[in-house]
Amino acid sequence: MTAFDLPTRGQRGEIAAYEGRHKWILLFCLIAFLIIAGRLWHLQIIKGAEYHRLSTENIIRQIDIRPSRGRILDRNGAILGDNRPSFDVYMVPHIYRRYRTDETVELLKQYLNLSNEEIERLERTMRTNLGEVVVRRDVTRAQVAMLEEDKLRLPGIDVRATAHRYYPMHAVSAHSMGFVGEVGTEELRSVERYGYRPGDYIGRMGLERAFEEILHGSPGIDRRVVDARGNQQGEAETRFLIGDYQMVKPIPGRDLVSTLDADLALIIDEAMANHAAGSVVALDPRDGSVLAMYSKPGFNPNAWSGRLSRNEKSRSDNDPFKPMLDKSVSSYFPGSIYKIVASLAALAEGIMTPTDEVNCPGYYSFGGRRFRCHRRSGHGKVDLEKALQVSCDVYYYKIADQLGMDKLSEYAHMFGFGERTGLPINNESAGRIPTREWHKKNSPEGYQRGFDLNTVLGQGDTLVSPLQAAVAYAALANGGDVYFPRLVKEIRNAQGDVLFEFTPRVRKQVNMKAEHLDAIRKGLHSVVHKDGGSAYRLRLPDIEVAGKTGTAQVVKIGAVRIANEDKEMRFRDHAWFAAYAPFENPEIVVVVFLEHAGHGGSEAAPVAMRIIREYFNQDRDSLSALITKIGDENLIQERDASDEGEALEESDALDGAESADDDSHAREEAE
Amino acid sequence: MKETSRLATFVERVDWVLLGLVTSLALLGILNLQSASYTHGMSFHLVQSLWFLFGSIVVAVLAFMDTRIFERWAYVFYGAVILLLVVVAVAGTEFNGSQRWINLGFFYMQPSELLKISVILVTARFFQDKNQNESFTLRGLWHPLLLVVGGVAFVLKQPDLGTSLVVLAIFMTMVLFQGIRWSSLVAIAVAVLISTPLIWNVGLKEYQKDRVVAFLNLEADRYGQSWQVSQSIIAFGSGQLLGKGHIEGTQVQRGFVPEHESDFAATIWGEERGFVGMMFLLSLYLALIGWALRISAHSRDRFGAHVAVGVAALIFWHTLVNLGMVTGMLPVVGITLPFVSYGGSSLLTMMMGVGLLLNISIRRR
Repeated sequence: MTAFDLPTRGQRGEIAAYEGRHKWILLFCLIAFLIIAGRLWHLQIIKGAEYHRLSTENIIRQIDIRPSRGRILDRNGAILGDNRPSFDVYMVPHIYRRYRTDETVELLKQYLNLSNEEIERLERTMRTNLGEVVVRRDVTRAQVAMLEEDKLRLPGIDVRATAHRYYPMHAVSAHSMGFVGEVGTEELRSVERYGYRPGDYIGRMGLERAFEEILHGSPGIDRRVVDARGNQQGEAETRFLIGDYQMVKPIPGRDLVSTLDADLALIIDEAMANHAAGSVVALDPRDGSVLAMYSKPGFNPNAWSGRLSRNEKSRSDNDPFKPMLDKSVSSYFPGSIYKIVASLAALAEGIMTPTDEVNCPGYYSFGGRRFRCHRRSGHGKVDLEKALQVSCDVYYYKIADQLGMDKLSEYAHMFGFGERTGLPINNESAGRIPTREWHKKNSPEGYQRGFDLNTVLGQGDTLVSPLQAAVAYAALANGGDVYFPRLVKEIRNAQGDVLFEFTPRVRKQVNMKAEHLDAIRKGLHSVVHKDGGSAYRLRLPDIEVAGKTGTAQVVKIGAVRIANEDKEMRFRDHAWFAAYAPFENPEIVVVVFLEHAGHGGSEAAPVAMRIIREYFNQDRDSLSALITKIGDENLIQERDASDEGEALEESDALDGAESADDDSHAREEAE
Repeated sequence: MKETSRLATFVERVDWVLLGLVTSLALLGILNLQSASYTHGMSFHLVQSLWFLFGSIVVAVLAFMDTRIFERWAYVFYGAVILLLVVVAVAGTEFNGSQRWINLGFFYMQPSELLKISVILVTARFFQDKNQNESFTLRGLWHPLLLVVGGVAFVLKQPDLGTSLVVLAIFMTMVLFQGIRWSSLVAIAVAVLISTPLIWNVGLKEYQKDRVVAFLNLEADRYGQSWQVSQSIIAFGSGQLLGKGHIEGTQVQRGFVPEHESDFAATIWGEERGFVGMMFLLSLYLALIGWALRISAHSRDRFGAHVAVGVAALIFWHTLVNLGMVTGMLPVVGITLPFVSYGGSSLLTMMMGVGLLLNISIRRR
């Protein structure tokens, strides 16, 4: 049996030549293994602790819990800014990238209506973001159901319930509410230390922006143990690996109780139904509280806070009336509502008494020119009361001729014109009260004396915002207190405890004698309540209103006044009406400004009177309470419907040009 | 009577040190695979145990066969392996973009594993035949060189870069052991330098290039190609001195290191047993290689000496490349860790090597 044969051939001498070579081979192996050992020493001993930390980080996924944003309430507790439940879709990049297949991408596109561009953008974002990436915000319940059902085929995709901002009043008073937007990448760098994370919302306008720190709150942290695919591990295992330190609760944002009156905003919205553009400001003259700030055209803050569709965005961009502009704090030619300044100046400077009369032949001769009154046939003899009542221009030309614009400017500043009122939101305009100095600097032809006569009528270069007008008329109504407009009453925590109260603050005092004030008030009363007054036809049966109409020419007053209807829209007059009511013990100041609407008496006054009438109507229903109650359900239906509409539109568009990048630009511009 | 006494002599001469070392490594590997099976649906350690038992039979059979049979049939065996490689190229089973296997129904056979053994045998036979003590020239080596390069070409085409390189490394080790002139060595180095770009452009598939690129650029792309290696490094490092304990390795148990049962088996050991465990493992390998070299030194003839060196080289290169790759020092080329990585083909190849070692050891002087 050969198997067990021990071979005899071959002698040790034959392989003597190999003597010593085995040692060299072994030495080589030893050195090679020492290199491996050195590497292991480096990894396990020198850098062991660091890698241990990394391995722990691997299995712990830290999830930021967003704090719920504070609510914004109106003065009666109706909710203006709220949170509603929504679902956001997130992705963990390293899991997605390891396990995704073509099928995953197809499913995502199909379920979430993502375009190829959006998928590309997503994959770009993943490269720089190792944490989580938002795939789609605020998806519908149907989409959530589909994603959950197909979870196994969608690695790294995570659906989480979050709160989404919701404004039950929609476009009504959108400008003062403002809206929120996702915090931008650049912006994040500066706010990260205040607890903001990618995907967080930040106020973009109005109260939402101005009181961001109060509304936002601080995020909490949830730590979970996961495996390489991101699947969450059991409670016992979690506790074993990371102990009890699993969650830090978020601190919710504080609630703002504003001074706004939601019902009044709805009344205003209805009263403004026939006008395309303008603003209404309503103040409580007793403490400077802002009851309503309304700007038209408005925008839907719900759309701006979520996914703004391309249509809505371009509609907003191309609207000549600029829906994103808060017209309450933008300044315009005030026209005759500004005559209160000259009225007080003339009385206080002693160049007129309330009973002094000026003859109005329909024009005022000045330096060889005739400055026309709006009534060509003239008003005859007018005293202060009549001058205000019929808005006689000649009466004021005479005052301006005697006082000059610098003196008028002093009195304008007393009322707060030409200065910011101190409103915390929306970067209000200071307006402009021209002086000789100003003209020398800014007018191409320098200062000319004729400018005084334009300025006194609230024309020329005078600019006033509806809010400033309201603050000034409130000072007339309350006897001379120029208040800081108060927009927020108090700050409350989530439990409803009042943390801070904003008390009314008087900014300055208009120094005027009681009889002067009474004379001006009497004039304003006659505008509404005396036959021939510019708003006489609109007087209310049971409420005494004092007010002043204004019709501001947008183009320079020439020798010929063109009938308003014949002008192009953008050259048409602005219509104003500034009023307070009731005449005795005023409770509300209303300033109506209608952009390019025409005559103050025929256009603006009816709006203001209707607002005042409804405001004091005891029988009206509280619409805002109703809206707040039913709003939630409505919105969800509306949103689901709009999402489907959008999906259709996207699949129709061959180029799929819509991308979320555009949206984010839009939001930035909106600032 | 004569037969039994011979058998007794045989048993007497059995190399228990060799078997002890191999069994230790295999048992360590099975223990390690038990950990790998824990969060995986499959019982790797049980299957591996069966392969080890089967491998032990192979060792016994090879040990008792007459050494001259291997010598005599070396070329025929080599021819058969080449034939199998041709079958693979024509009708092999493809998996993960690489065509390496012949489906035998119960087992996927990997002929490139057999190539390693047959290269050892054919090279040893060649040097035995030459019976020459002077250093070889390149011209004197053209015969085995042609055979080996021919075999490797098939493997490279599968493509299987790792196995190709290991086969060449084993061959080169045996050649260096035999002795080669410096001028020839330089000529080979030049040839390698010239052929490298050629292989890069023509011979390598995209995924292989990706792996090399990923390796060279390890830290830059933590979640890309080298994700696996990065996670393996974290696993090793987090094991620290004593390791996290059996089945406690969070990296391997939670799926951060894919293929942890096969190519990345060392990662489990490193994470769960730490630096101390790794040193123990390295010592076992070094002892085994040293022992194989000792067997070579005591061998009866050139053939035996060469086969033993070849098997030592097989174990050495596999261990070095595998550990280099899982610790991020070398690109991932799919080379298993001897006796520890899961897989029948790999274990059987190693056990065949052990069988040859035992055969030669028994017939030592």
